[in-house]
Amino acid sequence: MGHRLLSGAALAASLVAPTAHGDPAGGRVTGTVTVVEADGTAAPAIDAIVYVVGFPEPADPKAVPAQIAQEGRHFVPDLVAVTAGEDIIFPNNDPFLHNVFSQSSARKFDLGSFKKGDKKTAGFPDPGVIDVYCNIHPEMAATILVLPNRRHARTSPAGAYTLEGVPPGEWTVFAYTRRAVKPVSAKVTVTAKADTKLDLKLVRGAEPEHLNKFGEKYKAGGPTYK
Amino acid sequence: MFGAMVRVSGLVAVVAVGVAGAPGTAHAGRTDFGWLFGTETMPERSVELQTWTYEENGRPGVRDETSLWWGPVIGITDQLELSLPIEATWRAGSTAEPTATPATFALTDYGVDLRYRLVRADPVTAGPVVPLLRVAVKRDVDTRSAVVTEADLIIGYQRGRLHALLDAGVTGEFASGEHDVFARPGAGVSVQAIGDLRLGAEVFSELQVSGGTYRWVAVGPDLAWTHGRFWLSAAFGIGIYHMETAPRITWGIAF
Repeated sequence: MGHRLLSGAALAASLVAPTAHGDPAGGRVTGTVTVVEADGTAAPAIDAIVYVVGFPEPADPKAVPAQIAQEGRHFVPDLVAVTAGEDIIFPNNDPFLHNVFSQSSARKFDLGSFKKGDKKTAGFPDPGVIDVYCNIHPEMAATILVLPNRRHARTSPAGAYTLEGVPPGEWTVFAYTRRAVKPVSAKVTVTAKADTKLDLKLVRGAEPEHLNKFGEKYKAGGPTYK
Repeated sequence: MFGAMVRVSGLVAVVAVGVAGAPGTAHAGRTDFGWLFGTETMPERSVELQTWTYEENGRPGVRDETSLWWGPVIGITDQLELSLPIEATWRAGSTAEPTATPATFALTDYGVDLRYRLVRADPVTAGPVVPLLRVAVKRDVDTRSAVVTEADLIIGYQRGRLHALLDAGVTGEFASGEHDVFARPGAGVSVQAIGDLRLGAEVFSELQVSGGTYRWVAVGPDLAWTHGRFWLSAAFGIGIYHMETAPRITWGIAF
């Protein structure tokens, strides 16, 4: 997991500097995220997550837990953002066994193998980026962003987003989509009860190879237990 | 892979806040100790093959022994695991006349071993204190009317790199009209040293409380190591009461 090395000094600073709290009467950050492939061609409509860091905020205790279903040998959705302290439910909707595991340094877990109709829950108490896989089906991959506050949003199919209740001040806004070569970011100055416009552009790369839960390559073709 | 290497530049700082002291994933029914049972259980529908090898050397009036415990361990649920062990023991011979006896190696027991973790399997959401109950029922191969039962209450405490553990075990051997009962108290600490290597120390004892006066106590260093689907733990018990040495190695390989 050497690629998880700190390289964003500016972001690191943003995590320790001004502490504020999400404020429903704060400002809004709106805009559009466009996603292009590494060769410059436009990517089809793809979910992206836009988030702002620099201040902590507790999870909403009334929030409905997010779900990542296992359907058709895919995680659906394959990109989810939650606030630190929230749970994610993993239901298996396929007529065969799935496993859910992560070896990400931010959050290691193994939910075992479970059948159709069963679901497992994992909690995410600390911020981080977590790659999730199935030990049975190597083609299944998802990414979970565990964020330090509730000021994050999923883009619409057209790429539009709105971050509500951002505290007044200068913050760094990020956008990320799965397989992005890197997240993009920009500084914004948020004013109370005012909109701040920010458009972002992401470049998408190839799906990186991953190992199974034992740290080994998947067998050719991958085992499929029905 | 390049994409993965650079894509996290905006997220890694967030990650860095969260990972300090994060415990590892629950990884099969392993233990961080040699003689003490652990509090981890196998993930649901996972299977592991476990082998324990342990010695009891230098007990007064008792032949030295090397015992083998071997069996599959199956995750029934994330918190309940079942194993089906078979056990064999080698006993040293004696040349002392007039009771000279040859060394023996024989199947001793087989049975069922259940371990139930009383809190969630996920170490992050389970909390620092993890209790586990273990119950085993085994048939004594040599004494056909005998049944061996074992029970343990294990309480682990995990904080950062430190894992402390108490194991209060009891063994009962019941035959027609007779019974022997042994307490098996033990305790240990294990510290994550480097990566998946842990080092620690433990004390373990076997104290007959009914049917005789068989007792011994040993204390010594231990280690545990995990590598992919394989793990092992080992302890070298140095006898402090009615025992010279009590080394033990346990390993498991998951499938």
